[in-house]
Formats: sequence, C-alpha cells, structure tokens
Amino acid sequence: MWGDLLARTEMAEIPNVQLNVSSHAENVLLVRQALNGLAETIHLDPLELNDISTAVSEACNNVALHAYDGADGPLELEIYVGPALLTVVVRDHGVGIHPRIDDESGGIGLPIMLALAQSVEFHDLDGDGTEVRLEFAITARAAELERALPGAPALAPVNRDGIADDVTVLTLAPAKLGRTVLPRLLSALAARAFFSTDRISDAQLLADALVAHSEETVNGGQLNIDINVRPRALELRLGPLQTGRTSELVGDGASGGLGLLLARLAESHEVRSAATGDVLALRLTDNGA
Amino acid sequence: MPSGTAIAASTPSIIPGLSDDPAELFVRWQAHRDSAAREALVQRYMPLTRRLARRYGRSSEPFEDLLQVASLGLLKALDRYDAERGYPFESFAVPTILGEMRRYFRDSGWAVHVPRGAQERALKVRDAQEQLSGERGHAPSVGQLAQYLELDAEDVIEALQAIHAYETVSLDAPRPGSGEDAGSIGDAIGADDERYELVELDATVAAALKHVPARERLILRMRFVDDLTQTEIAEQVGISQMQVSRLLRRSLDQLRSLTGASAGAR
Repeated sequence: MWGDLLARTEMAEIPNVQLNVSSHAENVLLVRQALNGLAETIHLDPLELNDISTAVSEACNNVALHAYDGADGPLELEIYVGPALLTVVVRDHGVGIHPRIDDESGGIGLPIMLALAQSVEFHDLDGDGTEVRLEFAITARAAELERALPGAPALAPVNRDGIADDVTVLTLAPAKLGRTVLPRLLSALAARAFFSTDRISDAQLLADALVAHSEETVNGGQLNIDINVRPRALELRLGPLQTGRTSELVGDGASGGLGLLLARLAESHEVRSAATGDVLALRLTDNGA
Repeated sequence: MPSGTAIAASTPSIIPGLSDDPAELFVRWQAHRDSAAREALVQRYMPLTRRLARRYGRSSEPFEDLLQVASLGLLKALDRYDAERGYPFESFAVPTILGEMRRYFRDSGWAVHVPRGAQERALKVRDAQEQLSGERGHAPSVGQLAQYLELDAEDVIEALQAIHAYETVSLDAPRPGSGEDAGSIGDAIGADDERYELVELDATVAAALKHVPARERLILRMRFVDDLTQTEIAEQVGISQMQVSRLLRRSLDQLRSLTGASAGAR
C-alpha cells in the first residue's frame, strides 16, 4: 500500500482534498462536509455545489451499498480543483465494476451521475476494486483558485501504520483548506461521538487554532489529519509538522494561544516524533457534564 | 401491438381495468392520449420522482415544492420518451426530471436564497439549543436537536458551522465595545481585570489582550481560567451559547493575528 501511494503521487498531480473513510453509508455525510468546506474556500457557485454533491453522494452510496457485498471496506475520495474543472475520484477496493453497472434493481445512481457530471468514467482496478472519476465544469474564477490553492509539493502521507479501519483520514493541500474543511468534519464526527453543542463549538475553536498553527509549521505542502471516533471522545493526530516548532508552541506559556486552547479544550495532548516530522496527537472528550 | 383493452382484461393493474405493462401504457398515452394510462404511468414512476427530489437539492427548498417541480419533469419525460430507442424509461426520465429541477433552481434565484434558508435554520437551531439547555441544564447533542427540530443531523451540523463561522448569520449580538452594554460588562470586570490570569501565561498575549473588547476578555477568562462551559457562560453573561461560541472565535482569531502566531490567518 505504501509503495502504491508513492507511485501515485509521483505520477499524478496532488489532490487538494483526500478523504479516506470506511464505506458505512453514514460516512457519505463526511464526504459532503468535505465538499462543502472546499466549496467555501474556492467560492464555488451553490448550484454547482448542489450538482457535485448530489452526484458524488451517488458514487459513494454505490460503494457503501455494493462494493463490499454488504460488508465495510475503504472508501477513498480525491478532489482536484482546476481552473474550470473540478475532478472527484471515488475509489473502493471491493468487487469489480460490472456487477454494479449491470445492476437492474432500479438503481438510479448512475443516471444521476451521468446527468449531473460533465463526464463519468469507470475504471476497473485489475481485481482491486473500482474507481469512478467524475468531472464537473465550474465557474469559480481562476484567480481565486490560484490564491486559494497554490501548487503543493508532493509528500508522502503521515505513517498510517496501525490506523484502524473506521478512522477518518484527511489530507489537504494546501493546509489552509483546513480552515473550512476541518471544523466541518470535526463537528460531524463530534456529533457522532454524542458531543453536546457546547463541546462541538469547542472542537470548532480548536480546529481553527490547529489549522492556523499547521499552515505555518506543516512540513511540505500536505497536511494529514486522522480522527478516530470513540464513545464520547475523539482522538486526532495532525502532521507532519516541522520538528521542534510544535513543542515550542504548545508548551506552557507559549504565545499565540494554541497551548492555552489545548490545555483547556483537549483532555490530553502530546507531540510525537515521526520520520516525516512532528505529529500532534490530542484527545477531546465530552463527559456530559 | 395488441389493443389496450385486451391487455387490460388479462393483467393486474394499479387502476382498475388498466394494464400495468409500461410499454403498453406508453402506447396508450403517447399514441391515443389515454389520460388513464398517463395516470397509471405517473403512479408507477412517482417513487422514482420522489427519490430524485429528495436526493437533489436536499434540505434547500420545502420538499413539496421540489416534488411539484420534479413531477412536472416526469410529465415531460412521459411525453417525450421514445421506447423505439430501446433504452429503459428511467435512463431518460432521470436527466429530464433533474433538468427540470436545475432549471427551477436557476430561474428562481435559488442560489441567492440559500443564505436566507441557512440563516433561518441557524436561528431555529439556536432557539432550540437554548430551549433544550434551559430544560435539561446542559447543552443538547446534535441528535437531540435534530429530533426536536425534525431536521437531518447534517442540517444541524451545517447550521452550527454557519453560526460559528459566518458573520452573515446574524445572531443579533450587540456589537462589542459599543454602547452601554459593553461598558457595563467592562465595569463588572472592574479592578479584577488588572490581575487577569491569562496575562500570566505570556507577555505577548497580555499585550494583545488589551486590544480585545472587555466583553470578550471576560468570556475568555470564564472559559479558559474559570473553566466554565459555554452554556454556563451564556447564562451568566445573558447571551446565547451560540453568541459565546462566536465571541470566543472572534477573540481567539484576534489574539492569533495580534500575537503573530499565524500571520496568514484571518
């Protein structure tokens, strides 16, 4: 898997947003939240967002319902923003493509995708699942896109060893996309962990601070975040960050307020060293006080 | 093709005396303008139409309005479908119905109305949040809000995000640092403000705090020094939890930019 990821990042351009989740039907909500967050950053036309969100939801629903024969498996989303084109790739590693396209059981997913996307391509991944590539014409102004999404250098993702299957993994390039994407995803996952609106608001404040900090200290152009939902708790890891700078910033009495926020809003936090840089790990809880 | 009446006599149907074979019904409607056949087709494809209306433009318009537009698309599709081409009706109907809804959204200025709908929903969520907090003594969960308001959890999350992030969603907050209100809060802090504990953390933060309005400083202290929840702060200060959330966000943003911890941030 590691070699595969490297090969892909070398061959293709880097996705602006990458989201890997388990293929539960309820995770399609996370996909839509990621799209909403991206749309806010690039000032996407609401009508275009509605089309994109509807079509991409269908592609993801298809994976949730059919890719793993009723079981769960990885659902991978990649979004690439071009000057006049937004490309979304939805990938699974389940059964191949034909049983699903030929599905006569009244499925309207494919006709919806065909009607709303500029182009729809299905790729059979040689026995390792299916990839749907959807292209949408967008009218967002190119200048805004360039300002929002400068070219990001390729970087291997944070080490994913030991991440359980139901973890949400988000990769953003550039990191500032996190401003609009991370608070939404974190809110949705906090809601799933039964957080109160109080604590969801705290999570949003923390997301703002984490992204602001990461924009300055991320190692390379891609910010990786993984979030694990536990009963009444969220575990979050974020990196790779420049070695040393995060310890400095989260330490007691550090300026800028991140240390203060972490101390008050997170149950625990620590900075870990990884090969690609520092990783900030923290745990948010809501004990229903 | 056998005549409709012969078929109708021998097969079960939705409408008494009528075939439920769509091919037959299409002939009767398109070639003979048999409105009973059209009615049978409408009934047959109404579930498809409802599904499309629900999936497209979710939570944006009243569902009944959207269904009406989608149904118009269905009628057009029933008129224009050409069975001779050999494709199933669904593959023709889906783009036709979606096309009708997209045109409606575009022509009705739907995109312009989105912020107003979001605003209304945000205010509903805020009011329900206060109501439920008051009844139970603590802030509700998203699930509880969704159930109370009969909304999707997704809509509640979007509303919370809008309240947190967009100044365009007005919560009728008095402007900080202006008017009597802010002044009286400043008085309430009084001399105690000199020993403001946040200050002890860092000289840069201390300097920056001077630029944060009195009300926000008070709220920062209540949250980060006294460790009160946002709901508790809201009760004491006499504003909503949503306003507390937004004031915290604004003052933290301000602190960040003042201390230069994130020069590129808002």
